[in-house]
Amino acid sequence: MTVAPVASSTAPGIAATTDLTKVHGSGDTEVVALDRVSITFREGEFTAIMGPSGCGKSTLMHCAAGLDAPTSGSVRIGTTELSTLGDRSLTQLRRDRIGFIFQAFNLLPTLTALENITLPLSIAGRRPDQEWLDRVVAMVGLTGRLGHRPAQLSGGQQQRVAVARALASQPEIIFGDEPTGNLDSRAGAEVLGFLRDSVRELGRTVVMVTHDPVAAGYADRVVFLADGRLVDEMTRPTPDRVLDLMKTLDPRAA
Amino acid sequence: MLRTALRNLLAHPARQLMTVLAVCLGVAFVSGALVFADSTAAAHRAAATKSYADIAVTVTAKQPPGRPADRRSVLDDALVRKLAAVPGVASVRPSVDGSAALNAADGTPLRVKPGANPATAYIPGKDGKDARYPLAEGRAPADAGELALDTGTAAVGHLHLGDPITLATDGPVLTKRLVGLVTTDDTRVTTGGTLTLFDRATAQKLFAEPGTYTGIDLTATPGTDETTLADRVTQVLPADRAEATTGTAQAEQQAVLVSTLTRGYAKLPLVFAGVSLFIGSFLIVNTFTMLVARRGRESALLRAIGATRRQVSRSILLEALAVGLVASAAGFLLGLGLAAALPTLLTTGGSSLPAGPLVIGARSVLAALAVGVGVTVLAAWLPARRAAKVAPVEAMRTAARPPATGRPRLRALTGTVLLAAGVGLLLSLAGAEDASEENLRTAMAGCALLVAALIVLAPLLAVPVLRLTGRLTGRFGITGRLAQENALRDPRRTAATAATLMISTALVAGLAVIGHSTTETLDRQAASGLGADYVIGSRTFSHGLDDATVERVTATPGVDHTTAVSDTTFFLDGGVRTIAGVDPGTVDRTLKLGLVSGSLEHLGPGRIALSRSTAHENGLTTGDRVRARIGRQQDPAPYTVVAVFEDNPLAQDVLGARGEVAQHSFLPGSVQRILVGTDGHTVSRATEDRLRIAVGHSPLVTVQDREAFIEEAAGVLADLLKVVYGMLALGTVIGALGIINTLAMSVAERTREIGALRAIGMDRTAVRRMIRLEAVTVAGFGTLLGLAGGLFGAWRIGALANGAMDRYTFSLPWGTLLLLSLLSLTTGALAATLPARRAASLNPLEAVTEN
Repeated sequence: MTVAPVASSTAPGIAATTDLTKVHGSGDTEVVALDRVSITFREGEFTAIMGPSGCGKSTLMHCAAGLDAPTSGSVRIGTTELSTLGDRSLTQLRRDRIGFIFQAFNLLPTLTALENITLPLSIAGRRPDQEWLDRVVAMVGLTGRLGHRPAQLSGGQQQRVAVARALASQPEIIFGDEPTGNLDSRAGAEVLGFLRDSVRELGRTVVMVTHDPVAAGYADRVVFLADGRLVDEMTRPTPDRVLDLMKTLDPRAA
Repeated sequence: MLRTALRNLLAHPARQLMTVLAVCLGVAFVSGALVFADSTAAAHRAAATKSYADIAVTVTAKQPPGRPADRRSVLDDALVRKLAAVPGVASVRPSVDGSAALNAADGTPLRVKPGANPATAYIPGKDGKDARYPLAEGRAPADAGELALDTGTAAVGHLHLGDPITLATDGPVLTKRLVGLVTTDDTRVTTGGTLTLFDRATAQKLFAEPGTYTGIDLTATPGTDETTLADRVTQVLPADRAEATTGTAQAEQQAVLVSTLTRGYAKLPLVFAGVSLFIGSFLIVNTFTMLVARRGRESALLRAIGATRRQVSRSILLEALAVGLVASAAGFLLGLGLAAALPTLLTTGGSSLPAGPLVIGARSVLAALAVGVGVTVLAAWLPARRAAKVAPVEAMRTAARPPATGRPRLRALTGTVLLAAGVGLLLSLAGAEDASEENLRTAMAGCALLVAALIVLAPLLAVPVLRLTGRLTGRFGITGRLAQENALRDPRRTAATAATLMISTALVAGLAVIGHSTTETLDRQAASGLGADYVIGSRTFSHGLDDATVERVTATPGVDHTTAVSDTTFFLDGGVRTIAGVDPGTVDRTLKLGLVSGSLEHLGPGRIALSRSTAHENGLTTGDRVRARIGRQQDPAPYTVVAVFEDNPLAQDVLGARGEVAQHSFLPGSVQRILVGTDGHTVSRATEDRLRIAVGHSPLVTVQDREAFIEEAAGVLADLLKVVYGMLALGTVIGALGIINTLAMSVAERTREIGALRAIGMDRTAVRRMIRLEAVTVAGFGTLLGLAGGLFGAWRIGALANGAMDRYTFSLPWGTLLLLSLLSLTTGALAATLPARRAASLNPLEAVTEN
């Protein structure tokens, strides 16, 4: 069991946070969700963010992905400092350089699977790279179902559409917020497999928030958060090792 | 359950805002119309009573039996003195009433309208003043060269003390000097007329005979009963030559007359009230349906913990009742404001309605409550039943289910049956020859069925129509595509939202098309029948133009030829026709007469021409001989038909030689119209001025160029246009409310989706555009259906006009229709502003984490 020192790597990486702090509310109701978190996400790596409920892992991801504004500190995607961007530039950044996978899929019920996959490109007014699209669709195994509406697909299939949507615009980094939270274990395993494949075979960078040690076992690296602070990090994790570490962080979780 | 209902209402007041607004508007129109009608009637009655307030008895001349013509009126100074001596009479006020048309300072007729130009004598009382007409400026007219006017008339006509005033009572033009200005509350004058005062002798000369009066008003000494006095007065009056009426009876008569006249005022706002309520009820049904849908889980929860169906539906009906009460109260207040503002709105072109306090009758209050509460509760009834049907298990489901599609087959069947019935009724008009009441009723029923069919079928039509319009919105890329899909998501809701715009569009388009076609037809009739460049006519029936005027007009520089026309009656085979006596030499140039047979050259004494329909109805043709009477002719004389011409409104039924017609006319020698052809068909201000000089600047004579004449002939439809625009405004407002309502609900339901779109990179502008395009799509759908229904209805109703109007053709007012469509789409786009802003301001984070 190798417990690496707390990550404060200054290596360039594809995305990074420095002294990221997020405070909710003020005065008596003040809650510090993130307390000076510095972390780097390296290109071509599958990172899982773990921690007990309320540890701030979702907040970290939201801030890193430009969905939420930090109270202080900096967030960087590539060489772009997010705190300097207005809503329009942030939106464009999310559209062109970031892919999202949500817990609740968040597909548009009125669009077909294919239209959902190409939605970020359509919003940008770009034509999809057909070769890339075929590869992505083939990888997630949706080839025969592109004309279906979300309501005609199972939960696992819907999330596969969401994975394909996140990959379609070839973003620099993909964020997943509990992507397997609404799926049974088999469908969850499939989706996690696709995420790993997209890193291994397609060379993408994936960051995923999860509370499931099995899910974390698919990642290249796991970072642990507790009470808004980065407390530990593990490379090449297995579910057992992750579970053991979780127990030490939050005895209640066991 | 009452508490639950009220809690719901208080917890989400904004949700009910649109319902309240819709009910409020409808109620405001109804109560406003009723209060306005009551107030106007009361004001008219008050004005009428006031003018007879101190008059106990009025004595007027009576038409004696037998031949009246040469007998002098008995209302003279001797009678005045006799009446003054009757016990109980406090004062005697003789009057000499007639009418006078005036010219403004620029020589054009001033507010000349039938019944709006009273003229009378200024008759000083003991104090040297006429109490009826208080002097505001100057002095009373003292001799035949002077007159006084009311202050309003002088101001509008730019007339000042000392100015020479040209006027005509019923004959030649007179010129008198303005020496005084008076004030008056005579409603004929205050509603846009004129008042002219002469001295006693002048008025007697003009309106009666020297030394006689047209009426004598008596006031009573205190304690004398009107009826008793009237009886006493009757005894001193010469039998059969004069009669006495009490002031009360006169005021009552006047009030009855006035209320018949004002009934029309009340009708129009009521029509609007009905339409707004009808359209508004869709808005209300929609709101409640959506509220119920959103509360599906809540209702299910209530059911799961043991509430009965009835309790669930009752809680919704109670909510509707509360909303209806609040909205009706607010609407009633708004209606009072409307009623107060209406007189000003209806005051156009200087005529005003009498002012008076608002009269709030029990009828208005009850109608407002019944309408507001009734419509709301009825509209909520269906959704309430639907809510009660929610299965308790729905409470356990997490995801919202797509809306039930209802029973499309039943809907399609009902809609098709209605459509077939409506179209069938309208098509059955094809054989109709005229606009008889029965045919009109068929047409109305057909239109009503058509609208009902469109309302029923709209949800089914939404899918194909929106797919079609989607090709247009698709040009906006993914936002357009999403907008189309969102509108299609709940076709029933989209259809109900579009229904308001559909109905108003159908009404407006239909009315506009009928109005336009009619105007075009009238224009064409007038234009095709008229060859002259100017038409000179007389405003009074009793007094026409004379030969001297015709000669002066003919001799006017710039005039090439004239045709004087004398109209009178023509008795043919027991029927009454109108004959126009014309000059055979010029008539073919001033009137464009399409000849069916014969030639107008042969027109002359004893030789007449008939219009095609007159000839047809009497079974006559060129060469036939008939016996008929012209005007005052005692015995039928023989006439030969020398020509038959196409029907022409300017040529009457029969044409004859003017000399012969004028000779037998009831006004011997008089001319009703002069048709003027100018050199090179010039129409100019200078020509018109010269013609005005030729007719002696008489305010009783109209000088119109071709265009103005045609416009006046077609002008009957101006009121229709007002109705059209009113409907349009109303439909637009309520339609906009409906769209705001639906979109606000739709945005609230789609918070997550919009959040996700924002998260994956759709910027605020695109979100706004998406919502706006959805609104435009819905509006466009309503407009399309409305146009289709309105145009079809108008086309079939037009078939009725074909029989009634010669050469009626269906013609489309492209400009108006285009404007209508643009207005609808703009309404949609503007109505989307608020919901779009709300959608754009959604934080992507809140949206995606919401559970």
